[in-house]
Amino acid sequence: MPTDLTDILHDVTVLHRFVEFMDDYCRGQERSQTYADSSGAFFSYVRSLSAGIREELPRQIELATRFPSRLPILRSRMLTLKRYLRLLHALVKPAADAHVLTIPAPLINLASDQLMTVEAMRGSKIVVLLASELMYFQWPHTEIKIQARFVQDFIPSAVFPPKLGFIELPYSQGPSFFTNLAIYHEIGHFVYEELSTSVPANPGFSRLRSRIYKSLKRALPARTKDPQALTVALRIIENWTQEIFCDLFAIRLVGPAFSLSFIEMLGMLGFLSRSSSIRFNPTHPAPAFRLAEHVRMLRDDSWWDAIVDINPNQKKILEQLAKLPSSSYRFYIDEGRQGLQSLVTIFLDVVTPAIRSLVREVTKNAACSAKQFTRDREIIERCLLAGVVPHKPNSVPLNPVSIINASFFFYLTSISQLIANFEKDGEHTKVDVHSKWTKRVEMWTMKAIDERFRKVKVATHGPPTK
Amino acid sequence: MTPIDLQDRAQYLSLALFAQQIVSVLMEFVDEKKSAKLKSALEGALNSLQRAKDPTALSKSKATAFGSYEQLRTLEEVWSDQDRARAVRMIRAVLRAPDSPKSREIADDLIALFSELQNQALWNFEQPKPVSPRVMQRLCQLT
Repeated sequence: MPTDLTDILHDVTVLHRFVEFMDDYCRGQERSQTYADSSGAFFSYVRSLSAGIREELPRQIELATRFPSRLPILRSRMLTLKRYLRLLHALVKPAADAHVLTIPAPLINLASDQLMTVEAMRGSKIVVLLASELMYFQWPHTEIKIQARFVQDFIPSAVFPPKLGFIELPYSQGPSFFTNLAIYHEIGHFVYEELSTSVPANPGFSRLRSRIYKSLKRALPARTKDPQALTVALRIIENWTQEIFCDLFAIRLVGPAFSLSFIEMLGMLGFLSRSSSIRFNPTHPAPAFRLAEHVRMLRDDSWWDAIVDINPNQKKILEQLAKLPSSSYRFYIDEGRQGLQSLVTIFLDVVTPAIRSLVREVTKNAACSAKQFTRDREIIERCLLAGVVPHKPNSVPLNPVSIINASFFFYLTSISQLIANFEKDGEHTKVDVHSKWTKRVEMWTMKAIDERFRKVKVATHGPPTK
Repeated sequence: MTPIDLQDRAQYLSLALFAQQIVSVLMEFVDEKKSAKLKSALEGALNSLQRAKDPTALSKSKATAFGSYEQLRTLEEVWSDQDRARAVRMIRAVLRAPDSPKSREIADDLIALFSELQNQALWNFEQPKPVSPRVMQRLCQLT
């Protein structure tokens, strides 16, 4: 056998064993754990791709035998397919780790339900991934979908599930609740990616893109107008656009609780000092600007009035940073070099107003209600202070966004009072006691949301059958 | 947040797959005399090369590549301006007369060009590079 043919046979065999393993792994995980439907759809894709590749590989050997001059090209083809599998491989394990016992299922169920009320996102599915990094991510799926379409030319039976997105949570935070509100921002990335690349094009996103392109061309100096510099400038503006879109999307769906959890996370990452908070970088707008947009949206949606009498430290930080003048914002392209300030100017003056309108348009049926929160808040707080799962005496389900917000504010302002109700004097200063009662508040909150979810499900579909 | 490193690598992989699709269609055309997917694949390549000149041009055409920095940079690494112009001419020639025997010769040259692009994209996938200092300098405030 010619050496080159031996080489490709080796490549093909390695690939065959690799996809066989991925197939077995997905099958084994699904047998031993319970997953959300979305993860099942992803595993099915991986398995059908594996089966399709195994079927196709003998044809590659046949081509190599018939057209030996094409051997280098056929080997590149195998290599390209392996790289695609490598990216999928990076998703399979974290998806397999995220079975129903390791993720905040009530919150994920609620967020998925809310996502269905975003008109253009009906039928979409979120695959949860558990990550080793202490950070929340939305795994960009646009490129995966583009790649999957190319791969489908080669393996026609492998069809990537439509409207499938990937949200990554740190594995340590899987069972907690309040910090996981960050997933609403990540779902915003999913929505943005999905709608900004939809076919036919979504009119709102087309308008936004057109506005970005036109303003960039007008505002940039001639030296930046070579294609490479333009793509980088464009990506910077698009990164900022997505971040603001996602923040506002999250606030529209879940209210001020998102802003509070965001402040907690910025504090943990060390981005709350004045100097850090005014810095735009190539991937993110300045935290102070983001918070100013939070406050603006909360005011416009009447949330600010609804929480006027609740003043945890996080809200004060939010107000202080939001008040910093926009003239103090600076753009740094890296640690030491200041980037073109005109990019910030375009973004603030031209792009951000368009993002605000777009978010309102996208979430017009999904927005949460500050009025409902005002009505529900007292009873939720009373339940939590009494150490019981928030509920109404008449068994009408409480609004889930009211539960989240009232519980979050309770967690930030009233844990000591709760401890005083149940523990001996002096216990309220002990860290382990605080930690225990915080965990309980989170559990009651999740339980209340889960109860509501089940009640609504029973009301819609009838009681579960045996 | 988005994992930036992965996003950048994914751009190279998409380009490799794009180039592979063109190569596969051209190979079918040259070696197996099949041309069912030829027109749509080559038109996609033409649109993408057009977009490479101005990534911010709003177009209704289906450009599937060269909209990102990583893909443009890879293109510039492997094809000169003359190569690009030659590729466009060759694609147009094949599209104009797919049944001509000359078109198969031209298609063979195109296979070589797009294979180079695919291999460079695969290389960059393995060795992703930061944005070039030249480009970064252009986006800096002049002092």
